[in-house]
Formats: sequence, C-alpha cells, structure tokens
Amino acid sequence: MPLFPLAARLRSEPELAAEALAVVAGDGERARVVAATRRARRAGVEPGQTLPQARALCAELAVRARDPECERAAQAALVEAAGGLSPRVEDAGDGVAYADAEGLERLFPDERELGRELAAAAERAGLPARVGIAAGKLAARVAAESGSFQDGSPAVVVPAGGEAEFLAPLPLARLAPEAAVAETLARWGVRSAGALARLPAAEVASRLGPAGERLHSIARGRDPRPLVPRRPPPAFREGMALEWPAVQLEPLLFVGRAALERLTARLAALGLGCARLECELRLEPAGWDERAFDLPAPTREVKTLLTLLRLDLEARSPGAPVAGFAFVAHPGAPRAAQLTLFGPRALSPDRLATTLARLFALLGGDRVGSPRPVDGHRPGAFALAPFAPPPPPEVRPERPAGRSSAEGAGGRGLMAVRALRPPLPVEVVTAAPGRERGAGAGDGPASARPLAVHPLAAEATAGRPEIAGRVRVAAGPWRLEEGWWTGEPADRDYWDVELEGGGLYRLYRDRAAGGWFADGIYD
Amino acid sequence: MAGFEAAAARAIEPADPRPAGAAAGPAPAPREAGRWGARPALPREVAARLTSARELARTRRDERREPLPTGVAALDRPLGGGLPRGELVELVGRCSGGRHSGGRFSAALAALAAATAAGEAAALVDLGDGLEPAAAVALGADLERLLWLRPRTLREALAAAEAALHGGLHLVVVELGPPPLPGARALRATGPEAAWTRLARAARAHGSALLVASPYRLTGSAAAAVLETAARPCWSRQGAPLLTGLDAHVHTDRPLRGVGTSTGDGEETLPLAAAG
Repeated sequence: MPLFPLAARLRSEPELAAEALAVVAGDGERARVVAATRRARRAGVEPGQTLPQARALCAELAVRARDPECERAAQAALVEAAGGLSPRVEDAGDGVAYADAEGLERLFPDERELGRELAAAAERAGLPARVGIAAGKLAARVAAESGSFQDGSPAVVVPAGGEAEFLAPLPLARLAPEAAVAETLARWGVRSAGALARLPAAEVASRLGPAGERLHSIARGRDPRPLVPRRPPPAFREGMALEWPAVQLEPLLFVGRAALERLTARLAALGLGCARLECELRLEPAGWDERAFDLPAPTREVKTLLTLLRLDLEARSPGAPVAGFAFVAHPGAPRAAQLTLFGPRALSPDRLATTLARLFALLGGDRVGSPRPVDGHRPGAFALAPFAPPPPPEVRPERPAGRSSAEGAGGRGLMAVRALRPPLPVEVVTAAPGRERGAGAGDGPASARPLAVHPLAAEATAGRPEIAGRVRVAAGPWRLEEGWWTGEPADRDYWDVELEGGGLYRLYRDRAAGGWFADGIYD
Repeated sequence: MAGFEAAAARAIEPADPRPAGAAAGPAPAPREAGRWGARPALPREVAARLTSARELARTRRDERREPLPTGVAALDRPLGGGLPRGELVELVGRCSGGRHSGGRFSAALAALAAATAAGEAAALVDLGDGLEPAAAVALGADLERLLWLRPRTLREALAAAEAALHGGLHLVVVELGPPPLPGARALRATGPEAAWTRLARAARAHGSALLVASPYRLTGSAAAAVLETAARPCWSRQGAPLLTGLDAHVHTDRPLRGVGTSTGDGEETLPLAAAG
C-alpha cells in the first residue's frame, strides 16, 4: 500500500484527506516528514524533510505523528479485507499483504477482476490499495508498486511465465541479497535482476552457495519463499493516539465512536459479533487504564457498545487526561434463529443481544438473567442464569378445553408469595412459650404463637414495607434447619400469619439469634 | 413478515372460490383442502383448520392480535380473553384495610407462567425483587423463557421495561412491589404520566402485551384498561388453621375498549400452590 503511514492516519481521520497533511516521525525539531497528502506535496513538502522545512514550504500544513496503534489496526484491516476473498493470506507488515489466488479462478475467471475486487475490499476497509498478481511474492509486490495500471484497473497482472522478463529491469538491491553475495555480484558487474538471471544456475550455485542459488531463482521469477498464512487473530483491535489529551468524556466518546464503527465493520465482514470488549486508555503523562465488558450475547450495535463504555467511564473516571485509546473486540458468532410459520413469533437474536447489553449496562450483570431455583429448602433462594430462550414451539400449543381457570398450567394452584429481600426484621409479641402440638420429642422448645407484629425503629426499616397489626390467625410453626455445616446455617421456625388489617405474611423466628423476620407476603 | 405472507398467498394458492368482498367465514371442509396438495405435510391440528395460503396468512395475522390468556378467568373475562397485545393494562392490588395481599402478585405470575408455557418469551420487571423461582415453577412457568429484571428504583424499572419492549419480548410485566416504591418521589417531580405514556407507545409499536401491577393507580390515561383486585385469605379450619389460598375479587375500573363492562366483576379463588 502506498504511503502506508499516511493511509493509516487518514483511515482514522478521513476528514484530513483534503487538507495539507504531513505525517512525521521523531520529536520536536528533529521530526522528519514520512508521508504527505497531495495538497502538501503540491506545496513542495516531501518525505525526508524536517518539520521546520516542511512548515516553511506550506504554512497551512497540518501535522500528525506516526501512530503505531493506527497502523496496527490498518494493517489488520488490510489483511482481513484480503482474507474476505482468499482463504490463505500472509501479513507482510507495512501495508503489504499476500493472498493466495489459487482456486479463485472459479470465482474470478479474469485476474484483473480479482484485482479489482481486492482493491474494492481494501477500499471498504478505508484503505486505498494497489494490487499485483504474479506467480511469486516478489513479482507480485513489484507489480503492485510499479503503478503501471491499465484500463483504469488498480491491478497489474504479470502473465504466467513472464516473471523473469517482468523482473529483469529491477535493480539487484530490490532482491535484498546478503551483503557478501551483493559484494561479489557488484565485483562481477551484475547490477540488475535480468543480468543475474542470465548467468548459468550451476555456476552461480557453486560460486555463491545456497544464498546465491536462492537469489538466482528469484531473479528468474521462481520465488521459493512460500506463503506463510496468517492465523485469524483471537481479537480485533482499533485505536489511535489523540492529537490533544482528552480531559472530558464527550470528545473521547466522539472519537471512540468512529473507532467502534470501524471495529464493528470488520466484525460484520466476517459475520461475527463482539462478545467481549476491552478498552485500553493511555493516560497523560503516564499510565494506563484498562477495563473490559462482557456482552451477554455477541453484538455489532455501536450504540450498545458506546453506552456500556459511557456508563463505565461515568462511574469510574480514568483520573487523568486520555492521550490515546485502543478497543479490543473478542469475537463470537451471533446467534441464528429459524423463523416459525405456525408457532409464536421468535425473538430476533441481534435485537435481543442489544437489549440484554443495554439492560446489563442499566441494572448490572447480577440483576439481569433467567431465574433458577436452587437445591435447598430456604424460601426465596435463587440463582441467575444467562437469558437464552429456546426457539419457540413449531405449533402454538392449544389450551385444553374446559380447563378450570383456578388451576395453573400444572393444575396445582395460583397463589404465590412475594419474597422480601433481604428479610425484614420485625418485632413480634408472642404468647407464653410452650410445646406446640406436632413438634417432635427432641425438637426443643418451639416458637411461641405470634400475637402482634410491630415494625422496628424507622432507621432500621427505612424504605421497606410496613408490617404492623394484631394477628388474627397464625398457622405454624414449621421448622427449617439447613446448612449447619456452612458459614450461613439456617435454623428457623416459620409461621403464616394474617393480620387484622388483612395482610398475609410469612414470618420466621431465627432460633439461633432469637430475632423475628418477615420474608414473604402472600399476594 | 406481512409482505412475505401476502406474496406467498399470491404465489401458492389458486383463485379463491369465494366471491370478492365476502367475509372470512369458517374454514372450508377438510375434503376441499386436499385439492391444494399441501395438507398431508401440515400438522393435523393445523391442516384441519387451514385450507389455503391466504387462510394461513389470515390466521397468522389474527394470532398476532389474539390476547395472551393469564389463566385466571376473573382477569381474562373483562379483558376479552386475556392481556391485549400492544396495550398497557394496569392491575391495582388492594387489600381490605391494608395494602399488601390483594392477589396482584399471584395474578402477574400466573400471566407470566401462562405466556412462557405457551412458548412466548416474557420479562418480569421486578421492582420489589419478590420473585421466588420455585413458586414460578409451581405455577407452570418455563423459566428459560422468562427474563427477570431486578431494578432498584422506579426510574430504572421504567427504563428496563422500555428496553424489554424494544427487545421484542411478547409479554412484559412490571411488578412495582409493595409500597413505598423506591424512587417514586423523584419520578413524580418530573411528570410520571409521560413515562407511562411512553411505555404504552412502545408496547403498541412492538405488539407486546404490557401489564403493570401496582399498589395504587399510577398509569393515568396511558392504560387501556384498569382492573382492581382485592382478596381475603382462606383458612382451613379442620384442626390447626392452614392457609389454603386467597379469595380474590376483580373489579373493572376502566374497561378495555370493545369489551365493555357487560362481563361484570369477577370472583376467583386463588388456591395455594401445592408443595413439591
């Protein structure tokens, strides 16, 4: 890719493409121009100039430092764009990627068409690209860099068998020979690839060894270096360094949104969603702030990811200006769902994932989920499982005709108890203690019958329901003993009481501590 | 989906033998269904009712307008068969002389159990954090289809309900818990009725049924119907007293449009769920 540092920067800040912009490397007065936009080049700015020289030539010059984070993300996006068309792609770095075209002739009979598609895929990733197609890596790279395009196509195709002829004018230095081999070839007067290719192979091998033999093969267009395919990364990364450290949240989120959009676009190209988002903030003057969000289901909704980020940053400020950031998305396959024709409507997996992420951000992960009972006897005990509803039934089940309306679906009744969490401490006036009928011989003294219930002091029960009144009817006690071997044993006598005001409550007396609690309301 | 169904109806079926403009009557006799050739592939209970792609599209459209039965006849009757989709229904639970045991929570759980057992996804916005999963299972709920949200304040509850409606869940029950409602004072200052109107609009937009179970009237004019429950406990007096259920009385405070008050108030006994 031509001018890769500039292309990477413009991918993050596309609004600068029309400006006179120079990307520099180095600090202060020693900074040198690495690449410049067309407008800056027209003013005379060239790579290698110092920053003062460049400013002198172009007063309106905008300057950006080389950003390794931008370039890393751009390189990954380039490789992914090529990976969308070819299953084997090598990441060569610095804006270069090699894609194996073998087998693609079934999809693209014309190699120029393949080149156009590759360039278009890179364009969609925000990167202008040139394409070279040849039998070897060196010939393909030289073809891409040559810029000798025809018919407006962004691809140069080296005909099969024509690699040697194509590479012949190439200076020997482009073949990257070893120093000793280069020195020997220079003494022989061999200065181009074509001149090297004309030498007999056996003589070159005997005089220059395996290094010379390899160089000779390359000069003849037979590149022995294999394509080293890249394994798909476990995560996708986008980020950039900020021109000015961000002190407030909104400017950071504004720039962060663009990075999230690029990230989700890369995920969408591969049919993936973000299952976990990590955020790295580089702080000014030094330090890092790292945080991570697990999504309940993979999603590509930028709004959802941005909301999670905003809520977390509002709740936990980084504590220092932010000089740069990086987002790392760990991919997951979005859920698929088969729509039904006869049954209830299925939920859209993508919409559900977004909804769950929003609810997580709003309420917290420990307050959203699918309820599950736990093994035990303590009333109100529960567990939370991830909400992942199964597909709806294919046919909507019919309600049995004539079913009693007083029965639940299991025919076992309808009245439920509303749990009070945590249990509400109350003051209970009881009858004289005695052995209740039905208690076992070894059970010990049972709780006395409650006669009246009073709320505790206001500060102890502020914001809780008020339970007060004389007891009209009381049923119990039922003993519950559980978990004596754990750190939170339960040893309780339960009562169902009706107060004269009409409320129905589930009370228990903690036999160990002696206090009374209300842990349920029959409603 | 509506466009797909219409296109399927046009593409698959031959000309409808009924004259144009004729009202959709009962499905033709099963003998006629054999003409289309699709009947053997359909489930028996469906094939007996459907005769053409047009009938299928019509049935599908009608099903989406079918109310969600709660399984409690005293509630379903005044609502014309169940909770209407796309509407907000308020259920106010009172207790004679008190505020806590009106049968409101049981009715809300019954609605959730009926919906999830029928394969619909439902959400419970539980401001009071009162759900006992074991009780929901005893009522017949399919917990895998139930999304349990536990907000801390009324504002969080409203936001969570709106998010659940936007998520496309078929039934959203907002259970506000026993008074005092946390955060209610803060919401009152900013105009609570607008919040309920917004929820009602979201329910209409997504075709979801929305049930708000509250200890006192809250939703104002946003509710399409308002029902009140009051209950008396039922005790077994054979030997030691035993709580057997609630005698709930449902009064229609504001009838659902199109249903009216001809159905009258309902009485329902809500027996205690059996143990184990």
